[in-house]
Amino acid sequence: MTDFAGMEDLLQDFLTEAGDLLSGVDNKLVDLERSPDDRGLLNDIFRGFHTIKGGAGFLNAGELVTLCHLTENLFDRLRNGELSVTAESMDIILAATAAVRDMFGDLERGVMPHAADEALIASLQGAIQGAAPLLAAAPRPAAATAAPPAGAVAGSPQPTSAGAGPDWQLLMSAVTGALAPSSAAVQAVVPPVEPELAPEKIINAALGRRATDRPGVSGPTGRREPERVRDNSIRVDTARLDQVLNLSGEIGLTKNRLNALRRDILSGRNDTETLHALDLAVSQLDLLVSDLQNAVMKTRMQPIGRLFQKYPRIARDLARNLGKDVELVLAGEDTEIDKTMIEDLSDPIIHLIRNAVDHGVESASDRAAAGKPSKSELRLEARQEGDHIVILVADDGRGMDAERLRAKAVAKGLISEEEASTLDERQSYNLVFLPGFSMAEKVSDVSGRGVGMDVVRTNIQKLNGAIEIRSQPGKGATFVINLPLTLAILPVLLVRLGAQPFAVPLSMVREILPIEPNMVHDVGGRATMVVRGEVLPILTLSGLLGWPQEQVPGYGVLMQTTDMAFVLAIDSFAGREDAVIKSLDDFRPKGVAGVTTLSNGQIVLILDMKELLAEGNATQGIPRSALIPAQGEAVSG
Amino acid sequence: MADPKLRFLVVDDFSTMRRIVRNLLKELGYANVDEAEDGAVALQKLNAAPFDFVVTDWNMPNMDGLTLLQTIRRTPQFKHLPVLMITAEAKKENIIAAAQSGASGYIVKPFTAATLAEKLEKIFEKMGRSGAA
Repeated sequence: MTDFAGMEDLLQDFLTEAGDLLSGVDNKLVDLERSPDDRGLLNDIFRGFHTIKGGAGFLNAGELVTLCHLTENLFDRLRNGELSVTAESMDIILAATAAVRDMFGDLERGVMPHAADEALIASLQGAIQGAAPLLAAAPRPAAATAAPPAGAVAGSPQPTSAGAGPDWQLLMSAVTGALAPSSAAVQAVVPPVEPELAPEKIINAALGRRATDRPGVSGPTGRREPERVRDNSIRVDTARLDQVLNLSGEIGLTKNRLNALRRDILSGRNDTETLHALDLAVSQLDLLVSDLQNAVMKTRMQPIGRLFQKYPRIARDLARNLGKDVELVLAGEDTEIDKTMIEDLSDPIIHLIRNAVDHGVESASDRAAAGKPSKSELRLEARQEGDHIVILVADDGRGMDAERLRAKAVAKGLISEEEASTLDERQSYNLVFLPGFSMAEKVSDVSGRGVGMDVVRTNIQKLNGAIEIRSQPGKGATFVINLPLTLAILPVLLVRLGAQPFAVPLSMVREILPIEPNMVHDVGGRATMVVRGEVLPILTLSGLLGWPQEQVPGYGVLMQTTDMAFVLAIDSFAGREDAVIKSLDDFRPKGVAGVTTLSNGQIVLILDMKELLAEGNATQGIPRSALIPAQGEAVSG
Repeated sequence: MADPKLRFLVVDDFSTMRRIVRNLLKELGYANVDEAEDGAVALQKLNAAPFDFVVTDWNMPNMDGLTLLQTIRRTPQFKHLPVLMITAEAKKENIIAAAQSGASGYIVKPFTAATLAEKLEKIFEKMGRSGAA
């Protein structure tokens, strides 16, 4: 199946590390465009290709070695000042980098990389030869980097003095002899590389994306995909692992202590001293376990910079395609986030950047007219706020026009004229998240990927996150993504239907309020409630689940989904809990995201509200009468 | 034959490469291996604990392999330490530069355990001779 049998570990290591390296190279290339003479940059890029080449050699990936070798040679000449960076050579270099990325894609699928485009190889060779006519250091064909015959190199068996001199002479001739150059391979006439890349290609090339990576394929709320093909490994700082080990050791000791105490207590000892010791041991265990949970969670955390670093290049290429000058500024790259989320955030952030470059940033002439600097600054920032991660994508463009958004939504038939008139600014901005909404008057190259902002929002929600928009006319728009620190632990609200508890994600809960009969109104045969001026439909949990209603619900939970706010009518509630989600892989009833175990050992279903609401008839609402208790029955309390 | 107690220091900025070298060494029976990600870190490690053998990449940030080699040769307590240079280059200038700086051996990527064994053997042989002389 794979060309790398027996080398899977090595391959995985290589891909992870070389992938990071290549992203770094990409960013340095963006910098290099701005300061083409920076020796340090040239050196770093040279070393990047050099290192990738070295690793590729061990994987026997000859084509990758060839490509890296040529690119490296070009940078060798650039860094030595023998050549200088030109627009043409830059295009060739970028194309070569993309080709390397392509080859990584092959490697990820377990196939030997295909040969790079001949035109590209020829362009590289031409560029190396380039302006400098002297062929003194003719580029050797990359095959030369294959291991020279071991015997030839190592073979100098005659005994000499310990002095290295003679050995080295021999060695040198052996090596150079084995590598008799065939510089004739270099062609003089070089077809230029096609520099115009469609945005789709830009993004795919920059990400090394495979066809199977589509946005919106990850699992529903709170569920982790069983296995993803790619990169199931994780790099963890050994200090963090040591901490986990330490804590589990201490927990072991505390467990022993508890065992001893149990023996004592079972044999009748229940004096204050013993009970006090028990109390102490249990508290200690409590502390240790929560420390351990934290420590284990930390092993899953990765700096978001690993994700961020591939974006400056994408932003640059997209902007260049549209004739705009955009610089993506990164901040908060050290912010740590759950590794699985990093992967799932990749597409939404790309789309937001693409959206900002395409729609947010004005054309050069508009910017000049508005008296703004011609280069626009796009900010991608991450930071931790409490137990949340906040990611900002901010542009300094024209900002969003609530009026235009409303008109657009009405024209597209997404909302009625009437609905539009009731929307405030924030709600108007959120219209862009509606499926089928596209702000571009004509579908441009950049935004025509068939993926809209609605998918961005859906994907963020799958991570139990939320996205909102802030905008200042003329100053720019900011997309704010709010994410939980991890998917492994989900804060939930426990609600009850009769005696049966259910858990709903706390992130959707706005508030809890008693349902007073006199606050319930009837609008078109459906029960509604006015909360601080907002008219909200009341949906009963029993109705959503399709259960018969056995008692009149006493409480309402004001839930906010992205599409709607509503009052979920429940019988009672039991407080909040941090649920550790166990997914029901093979057997998953509709509307159930998973299960969790309560402190008393009871198993509770975690509801997937989105799925429940998707059941058409469930959202029809219920008549007011269902919420009015029969005579004499008290509701509150 | 391989002395399993020999303590190796593998220096490379690319952790995949360090792992490759470490695995090859293990294949040859050398399990006592430590790693450093550049010349500067390598020197720290050399100063902190005794090593018997250094295997180093050439091209690294902070301090490259050649500078590491030169520093080792200049430092009295390290100067007899065998240093095997690993690089992707088989360039004449590089080999001469390494030789002049006192490299004990030079190996070109990619290589097999057999090639590595051969190089090591040769270096040990040379050391044995110089020790006897």
